[in-house]
Amino acid sequence: MIGQDILMVLTILMFLSATGYFVYRMLPIFRVMQKARSTNRLDNWPRRLSFMLGQVFGHKRLLRLRLSGILHFFIFSGFVVLMIDVITAIVQVFDPHITLDAPLAFVVDLWAVLVLIGILLAVYQRAVIKPERYHGSDERDGYIILAMIATIMIGIFLHESFYPFAAPYLFHVHPSLNPWGFVGYLLGHLWLSTHLASNPVVAESGYILGYLLDIGMVFAFLAYLPTSKHLHIFLAVPSIFLHKTRPHGELVPPLPEDEGMAIRTFTDVNWKDVLDLFTCTECGRCQAVCPAYAAGQPLSPKMVILELRDALRKELNGEDSVPLAGGVVKAEELWACTTCGACQEACPVFIEHVPKIAGLRAALLEDGEVDKNSQKVLVGWDRQGNSFGQPPRKRPAWTKALEAPIKDARKEAVDWLWFVGDFASYDPRLQELSRLVAQILQQAGIDFGILYEGEANAGNEALRLGEFGLFETLAQKNLKWLESAQYNQIFTTDPHSFNALRNEYRKFGFEKPVKHYTQAFLDLIEQGRLSPAPLRIRVTYHDPCYLGRWNRVLDAPRQLLERMGVELIEMPRHGANSFCCGAGGGRIWMEEVGIKERPADNRIREALSLNDVNYFVVACPKDMSMFSAAVQSTGSENRIKVVDVAELLAQAVGLSVPQSAVAIK
Amino acid sequence: MGPILIVMENGASGFVDSSKELITKGREIAKNLEISSIAVGFGQDAESQLKNLPVDRVIAITNPELSQYHPLAYEKTLSEIVKKEEPYLTLVANTTMGMDLGAGVASSVSLPLIAYCNQVAIAGQEVVATSSVFAGKLMAEIVVPKSGAVLTVMPGAWSATEDSGSPQVDVLSVDIPPSMRILRTIEPEKSDVDITKADILISVGRGIEGPENLTLAEELAEAIGGVVSCSRPVVDAGWLPKSRQVGKSGQTVKPKLYMAFGISGAPEHQQGMKDADLIIAVNTDENASIMDIAHFGTTVDMLELMPALTERLRGE
Amino acid sequence: MHIAVLMKSVPDLVEDIALDEHEGQILFDEMSYVPSEWDDQALEEALVIKEESGAEVTAVSIETQDSDNLLFTALAKGSDNAVKLVGDFDLSLTNRQRAQIFADYLHKQPFDLILSGVQAIDDVDGQIPGLVAGIMGWPHASVVTEVRVKDQGIILRQEYAGGLVAEIESSTPVVVGIQAARKPPRYASIAKVRQVAKSRQIEEVEVPLSNVPALTVRRFYKPVASAHAEMVDGDVEDVAARIAEILQERNLLRR
Ligand SMILES: Cc1cc2nc3c(=O)[nH]c(=O)nc-3n(C[C@H](O)[C@H](O)[C@H](O)COP(=O)(O)OP(=O)(O)OC[C@H]3O[C@@H](n4cnc5c(N)ncnc54)[C@H](O)[C@@H]3O)c2cc1C
Ligand code: SF4
Ligand code: SF4
Repeated sequence: MIGQDILMVLTILMFLSATGYFVYRMLPIFRVMQKARSTNRLDNWPRRLSFMLGQVFGHKRLLRLRLSGILHFFIFSGFVVLMIDVITAIVQVFDPHITLDAPLAFVVDLWAVLVLIGILLAVYQRAVIKPERYHGSDERDGYIILAMIATIMIGIFLHESFYPFAAPYLFHVHPSLNPWGFVGYLLGHLWLSTHLASNPVVAESGYILGYLLDIGMVFAFLAYLPTSKHLHIFLAVPSIFLHKTRPHGELVPPLPEDEGMAIRTFTDVNWKDVLDLFTCTECGRCQAVCPAYAAGQPLSPKMVILELRDALRKELNGEDSVPLAGGVVKAEELWACTTCGACQEACPVFIEHVPKIAGLRAALLEDGEVDKNSQKVLVGWDRQGNSFGQPPRKRPAWTKALEAPIKDARKEAVDWLWFVGDFASYDPRLQELSRLVAQILQQAGIDFGILYEGEANAGNEALRLGEFGLFETLAQKNLKWLESAQYNQIFTTDPHSFNALRNEYRKFGFEKPVKHYTQAFLDLIEQGRLSPAPLRIRVTYHDPCYLGRWNRVLDAPRQLLERMGVELIEMPRHGANSFCCGAGGGRIWMEEVGIKERPADNRIREALSLNDVNYFVVACPKDMSMFSAAVQSTGSENRIKVVDVAELLAQAVGLSVPQSAVAIK
Repeated sequence: MGPILIVMENGASGFVDSSKELITKGREIAKNLEISSIAVGFGQDAESQLKNLPVDRVIAITNPELSQYHPLAYEKTLSEIVKKEEPYLTLVANTTMGMDLGAGVASSVSLPLIAYCNQVAIAGQEVVATSSVFAGKLMAEIVVPKSGAVLTVMPGAWSATEDSGSPQVDVLSVDIPPSMRILRTIEPEKSDVDITKADILISVGRGIEGPENLTLAEELAEAIGGVVSCSRPVVDAGWLPKSRQVGKSGQTVKPKLYMAFGISGAPEHQQGMKDADLIIAVNTDENASIMDIAHFGTTVDMLELMPALTERLRGE
Repeated sequence: MHIAVLMKSVPDLVEDIALDEHEGQILFDEMSYVPSEWDDQALEEALVIKEESGAEVTAVSIETQDSDNLLFTALAKGSDNAVKLVGDFDLSLTNRQRAQIFADYLHKQPFDLILSGVQAIDDVDGQIPGLVAGIMGWPHASVVTEVRVKDQGIILRQEYAGGLVAEIESSTPVVVGIQAARKPPRYASIAKVRQVAKSRQIEEVEVPLSNVPALTVRRFYKPVASAHAEMVDGDVEDVAARIAEILQERNLLRR
């Protein structure tokens, strides 16, 4: 009886101290969350719940990386199943009559074996494969956790297999070896054949040791968690439930009067941002897909999260706080981000990196620190409303060479309002394309117009550089006309403007339908207003970040290509996993320092690895500039040509495509 | 009408070119207006350097410390001279020294100043100066008032001739005000070329074909006294360092002469060089967009033209 | 150390200059104005000095179209005070007049160091720093790229052609024309300027307009620009000869 009493007391003590310590360590984090900004993450909970279940039990995102996904699924499901074991083991101490019955005992043992295999795979992955994405993660923590889990499994087998032999002495019951618990059963027979089972001291010690390794370690695990990345075991599920449901492409939600977007302290982020820091599993999936990291820039989205988390931990330990922007996260890291969103897309626990990076940028900007080329652009947007340092008066200059003039939507009602954007208006190479788009619309008989010099840059990039005030100014300039003009839908070739108009202008109550030209052209074909003849070429297609990833327009461009009789060969990274050209987030204007391989060059090489693909199709004016230059700088003019979807369509509907546009022969 | 007063600036050896240009032009104006010409120089060697200038009179301020430009001492001395001599025109080159002295002297003696002059014409009894203002976007035609003016003249506005004369020489030495002191002069570091500061850029693009041809550009740059810069692909290929890249993601330059060899003139490149004073483009493609912003263009092969031009410039 | 930074706005050259081509006169009222870039450099250097060795910085501007925005931006960047000189002024003020207005104000103020941009795009009748110094009888230096405070005075770096630099020690008061600050001018975010405009005051000082030596610009005109390169034809030798000639004509050849 004594033995059982001791075990009972011990269990209670371990439970109390472990949970007490856990709560003690977690409280400060929750206090920080209390002081942080609010954000509504409890709306529409049935949708959140079903999303969460899909991610948690289906491992949807995790399985995108096969090996890691599978082994995590083992370990994760092991945890769920082993909860059963933990509960029975503990209950057994208090009421020895309770044992696991046939199927459950089998499942527990099977899963424990699978978990051990998972751990072996994980050790193999860490020690032998050494994926680049773990670079910068806390390796020690990873191994400690794996060792703890392995210990628990071994503990399970030990106490399970010694239980029938120790129970008579400890609990005065006489269970027999349960063949369903097959590992315990086999081990039990081993103890019998080696006569270990018949020695009461050995049997009792074996059981107690196993129990402590199992349950003791479970409690130790609980106490260890708050300082480990495995806090995600507790936080991942709620975090996924609390994921962002506002429009994906919206960087900054509507801000209350007295709040800016700058992040200087942990009170300037919202509570979910704080939760994010402790949810990060250090898996490095974000880092593995980050174009800035791949280019050899000093940015890793993972490190941004970890640096913030460590800074918060230090603050909680009473250390002096270091400025977050420029101190904890270095300015060079922050400015290297293209805001492509690949990190957020890859993160299995739905951490939002980009708003944090943009908020930290905003703090730098408020202190006057910004890359000098971008500064010029910001000033240009403020003064002239465009990034080209050109007078607003010249914005519609590209229309002059058109045979039929374009309506001024400020003066007369139109069906489609075309928001042209800076690049398509001012860049001499792209003006030719803009004229092609106009001709296509004219051929389809669309009643359309533009805002002429009334249009200004949409502000998407100003916002992503952290300049909320300027974004607002630009938005107001545009809204003046967007709200007074008469039209049925907005049409744009520029994914960046598309994103701003569709997602960011909602804060100002603007909710007109906005279509990207790939969607609009597809509509025209479906309505029979355009009938393209098949082009019969093989191409690959690059999804622009602000069209594909941020706005989920993935099918329209593909269907459009199909309708033009174009065979699409996908690059390995496509759709929502597309690889950024490197232009976004203001990067297109910044000085390129320390770039090993430009993202656009990397992307062109990816396209070149495909067989017999001679055309690289883009659907964004900035992509045209970025990739044309990349084709030049990789010296691959003879192998691949960058073409805009509009050029292909113009060709397919029989318009004459000028030589000066990057036309196909 | 008072004389014409020319302020000479010391260079590494003798007077700087821009001062010599003033002498040639100043003498011409003086002759036309039938007034006398005076040159003022400073420093230890002032007397020996001034005494052969083709002017009527020279004033040598021979304090050895003043061989190096001293903003306060120069300005005080010159203001005194202007008060005394009451010149009709005071000419100083628009260098650092000229920018300093011109405005300071003019306002302390209450004369008007005409800055950034690149032309002075005599029309009857009127002297008309033309200045380039608003970053070269406008020319201003100004009639020099009868009461006289100080003119700061753009270097290179005129060419200098190497005439000599035998002027009357006045030598004096002045008190150097103690409130300003030259501590030292610092030579620019030779190793790192700053293409934004060069007056002449020999810029090469992908037409250079390979690193082995870079010597052609370097030899030309040396012959003409310029620096080699390039377009981005040349940096990408590792043929020249990033610091030499002109354009959007490189440096913005505004040299007196920009020679673009084998550069197509992509907007990103143009952004960094379109404000150069003189652009000469060498590109086998007559329709390359660089030709839209160049002042002169030619379609000969750059790899042949570079050595030919080097040869010719060396021969001069 | 108390520093005054003299600032002004100039026409925005992104737009064409408004010119009455017939009369040859600039239509000052028809242009938009932006802060002169060199004055921005001067302000930056003042702020760098302030951060480095403590100083009180006062941005001073003459009331014209853009002056409020200019001064609020200076405050947002870290200037301690902003002073607007008001009077019977319009946009066609000459630099000489501006210099006189500045000097009339500065005479009565206890500034030790006055910084301003070395030049501006419209200073056909002289650059502000030299003019102001001459009027006030203060020493000055232009084309300066660095100013540091030392004891009661300053040490500055003056730059000459070819990158040669002189280090000069000067007592105060002194006027300095800044070519470039030690670091690129900082950015003032729109939100910050707006907030400053709500919370801070610009001091207004009335200054009379006195007579100064004047220049009469007979006419302004646009230099003829060519739209396309003038092509040089012939074989390599012909072209080389012609290019050498062009360089010769423009004084671009070393002799
Ligand atoms: C965001 C971004 C930033 C960029 N930043 C910059 C930048 O800062 N600077 C920059 O330069 N580019 C920049 N680019 C790249 C730019 O778009 C062009 O790719 C690049 O300028 C082209 O360089 P190039 O003119 O040397 O090469 P090309 O365009 O290939 O031109 C070579 C030219 O040489 C001519 N040529 C060939 N052989 C000869 C010969 N024997 N004699 C005479 N002519 C010959 C050809 O006719 C051709 O016109 C940037 C691009 C992007 C997207
Ligand atoms: S948004 Fe793109 S560039 Fe920025 S951190 Fe994420 S993956 Fe990297
Ligand atoms: S942020 Fe997300 S993807 Fe990146 S390391 Fe953390 S958990 Fe992994």
